[in-house]
Amino acid sequence: MFGYVRPYKPELLVREYDQYKAVYCELCRVLGKEYGVMARFALSYDCAFYAMLALREEQVEERRGRCVCNPLKACAYLPSSGEAYKKAAALCVLLTYHKLRDDCMDEGFFSSLGSRLLLSIASPKAKKAAQRYPSMAGAVERAMEEQRKAEGEGAGVDRCAEPTADLLRELFGELCGCDERQRPALESFGYFLGRWVYLMDAADDLGEDMRKGSFNPFIKRLGLEGKKELSEEERRAADNACNEALNATAARLALAANLVELGTFGPIIENVVQKGLGEIQREILFLHVKEKPKRELR
Amino acid sequence: MNDPYKVLGVSRSATDEEIKDAYRKLAKKYHPDQYAESPLKELADEKMKEINEAYDTITAQRRGGSRGGYNAGYGGGAGGGGYSAGSSFGDVRSLIMSGRFADAEQILNGVPADRRNAEWYFLKGSVLYRRGWLEEAKDHFSRACQMDPSNPEYSAALNQAMSQRGGMYGGYNPNRGMSSDCNACDMCSGLLMADCCCECMGGDLIRCC
Repeated sequence: MFGYVRPYKPELLVREYDQYKAVYCELCRVLGKEYGVMARFALSYDCAFYAMLALREEQVEERRGRCVCNPLKACAYLPSSGEAYKKAAALCVLLTYHKLRDDCMDEGFFSSLGSRLLLSIASPKAKKAAQRYPSMAGAVERAMEEQRKAEGEGAGVDRCAEPTADLLRELFGELCGCDERQRPALESFGYFLGRWVYLMDAADDLGEDMRKGSFNPFIKRLGLEGKKELSEEERRAADNACNEALNATAARLALAANLVELGTFGPIIENVVQKGLGEIQREILFLHVKEKPKRELR
Repeated sequence: MNDPYKVLGVSRSATDEEIKDAYRKLAKKYHPDQYAESPLKELADEKMKEINEAYDTITAQRRGGSRGGYNAGYGGGAGGGGYSAGSSFGDVRSLIMSGRFADAEQILNGVPADRRNAEWYFLKGSVLYRRGWLEEAKDHFSRACQMDPSNPEYSAALNQAMSQRGGMYGGYNPNRGMSSDCNACDMCSGLLMADCCCECMGGDLIRCC
């Protein structure tokens, strides 16, 4: 996953924001404890979201401490004795490992030096995670395999999005715990979130993929084959088309989320689903935040 | 049964108005119409029933046993589908109705290209939609509408897909807030301008100016 799944901060209560940060910090701490200091760089918003969903039936109590990276900073943690954080940490590690492996395959000898160096650090950690959660590792592995296959065949948008969607369907479905009635809603939630994440990433990379001539499912969908650059107008049309595909997915996602018992972090998860995702679409497709210098954004 | 107050997410001391509000909010959230085309329909129906019962119980308790107000206000509904007259894919439709999408799709895929009419595209679109293949579903719905523009069933499906794409139900709507910037001042000055125009043409809209 790619850090797109996060709350829309202006609409969070201060209390909720603190809670969210505490989950994030706890996940960072667990990552460091289980997989070593370097693994902390694998931390992502998406996995924090997964942790919140996994914690939905658990009672958590805040603990105050110091930030693990900066001992001068005070920091709140929300520890839990269950498996939630450990699973989320394993997911971080596995996803990062596969992302690095993908990068190594796609890039040339010299440009992949960096990713290969990182891969050598990540791969023993991924092995460790796979030992602890073999079913999760299997699901991630399968999804990556299927995705490579679909992209290799130059398949359509829906087919390309399916592996990521199915991965999250499986992961979220497992979170139903003892309440089997929740499973279909959670699975649907996972499916559409995975689909949304894949499409968002594809939409985000569209420009770069066109320049480099890499595969992107939206290129064929929007009839942009063979082009290198888009005019201002074409770009706007492409962004709008991507936005529509994302909206359709977000609409189904919200319907599924309505039916999930969101538990402890309900308001934060609802914020992500109803506002956070839309805000990311706006930032990336309409404000193009990634292309502007940091100074301008402030 | 669960505590009805907990189901609606209100405290026992909530006023009738607050309870009605909470009920309406939840009813909108779980309304079966929006799940009509989704495999989650059963779960949504169950939730709807739960809040209907909770609301009925509370109102009954508060009115000393007399039932009333909203019961059965929302609920049921959304049968949808049904056989349309002269359907050439009755078997597929009944498979879809009973939730056997994979079988329905298999039959649809076996239909040769020259027998693929508007209804075929519509049904294939429905199967794709349920599976979550929203891009191809939209393509199939629009194809069905192109081939048979007067069919209300097909255009309803396309309309639903298009309104979801517009960002009304989730995601981001780029046109939001552009046209809705209308306040009392704008209304008033608009009326004054309309009055001026009317007066130019010899009529009058606002008598006093």
